[in-house]
Amino acid sequence: MKLTEPNNLVTPRLVCKDLQIGRAGKPLLPALNFEVRPGDVWVLIGRNGSGKSTLLQTLLGGLKPLSGSFDVEPSCKLAFVPQRETHDLCVPSRAWDMVESGVDRGWGFWRWGGRAQSVAKALDDVDASELAAEPYGHLSEGQKQRILMARALASEPDVILLDEPTSAMDPLAEQNIFGVIDELRDERALSVIIASHSLTVVPAIATHVAFLDRDQQLVLAGERSEVLSEPRFRAVYGNVLSPGEAE
Amino acid sequence: MIETAPTLSEFFVAWDLFRDPSLTGALAGAMLGMMGIYVILRRMVFLAATVSQAASFGVAGAYFVGLGATGTLAPTLGALLMTFVTLYVIATDTSHEQHRRDALLGFVFLVCSAGTLLVGTRIAEEIQDIQTILFGTAVAVLPSDFRLMIILTIAIMALHIWGWRGFSAVSFDRAGAQVRGLPVRGLELGLFVGLGLGLAVSTRVLGAMPTFAFTVLPSLAAVNIAPNIRTGLMIAAAFGALSGFGGYVLAFLFEFPVGATQTALAATFTAVTWLFGHKH
Repeated sequence: MKLTEPNNLVTPRLVCKDLQIGRAGKPLLPALNFEVRPGDVWVLIGRNGSGKSTLLQTLLGGLKPLSGSFDVEPSCKLAFVPQRETHDLCVPSRAWDMVESGVDRGWGFWRWGGRAQSVAKALDDVDASELAAEPYGHLSEGQKQRILMARALASEPDVILLDEPTSAMDPLAEQNIFGVIDELRDERALSVIIASHSLTVVPAIATHVAFLDRDQQLVLAGERSEVLSEPRFRAVYGNVLSPGEAE
Repeated sequence: MIETAPTLSEFFVAWDLFRDPSLTGALAGAMLGMMGIYVILRRMVFLAATVSQAASFGVAGAYFVGLGATGTLAPTLGALLMTFVTLYVIATDTSHEQHRRDALLGFVFLVCSAGTLLVGTRIAEEIQDIQTILFGTAVAVLPSDFRLMIILTIAIMALHIWGWRGFSAVSFDRAGAQVRGLPVRGLELGLFVGLGLGLAVSTRVLGAMPTFAFTVLPSLAAVNIAPNIRTGLMIAAAFGALSGFGGYVLAFLFEFPVGATQTALAATFTAVTWLFGHKH
């Protein structure tokens, strides 16, 4: 399946219906409603402490929703790309080992071998085959991000969730990562959910945006152009995005 | 008559006598060395120290209530009981604050250290037994303890050789493992139960100091030179086995205390790999 534009006709892979997120029983934001379809790139944006991480953790299954529902299509497989800083560089690992650690699903970790093909394909998908033998800790930030993406792709997911994938990255490396995501979306009909506090992600690759603002108790979720032209969004970010980017 | 220093050939001539304790050291070293990779990379070194101290207290407690003389079962059960009570107390502390966790570990460590020494002055088997519990000065190992160590080592190492990918995933990429549907809680439980059993039985048989040393030093040495976790697990097990067996042999040759020699040898491996190992 080759996608160039978001497809609203196919069955959604994830459906959040009146989803209320929070911690210790306290709601963080108004209820959320959105659907993620094949090829969608959802960007969750908001300032630090706006609720992005809580939403991401809820989608990952680490936190239970306070109310409402979060349904995943039964055959849909998820994978997660954490922030690069969360990986402890004391853990000895080559790029190949990092990617291999993402292959198994369920009880598949008991399997003795048979992972090489998946690892090689995932590395190839992110154009990082030449990095396979390098120690992970020696890689640049952009290369590390590609390896973490390959790790997520190694289990052949339908949806990948990324936490701040371009933080502490130079503009060139950032563009490179956007290019990889866009290619994967296009070739694999992959659905992507990105949590980011950086607005540069939005014009670069987003098809949909969920804007979260805990202070104003505001949630805007929908197609990119709808959200970016919303007066309440523009009141916060209007002077950051140029009119061209918003369109 | 001039007394000469023991030789290596004398050690092997008396192999029947030294086989069980030297191989027990090797088995404990291999088993704890392998699990130690998770202990040091998950920043649980102080937890391992506390658990082995708590296990010592359990052994001393079993002697104190008069069960030590009845066989090896009661002290082993005492060690297991204290180990799992400690792990339960730590696991149920949901504060998520590192300083509180450290303070709790420090509290348990000191209570158990003091308790072992206090109880030790009141047990019938005298202070020599407490020395054995704390510092691993035991030269001999009972056949039942040797058999227990063989069974435990085979079971735990088989579990870790087969399931290392799962233990590794929950240790270093927990969120990723959860979203990929790995049995995260079961793997965590397996890791901690295995560690608890290994620490408790090794403390009971060899003493707290070599047990703690086997849990930390071989894996530290392995991490300094291993390119990845899989190789690290194998190297740590090898360094642990060498420390356990080689330490016993060196203790015989130079008439040193066994536990201290095993610890010193493991520390030497670590120091050498620190000096010559690569930085990954």
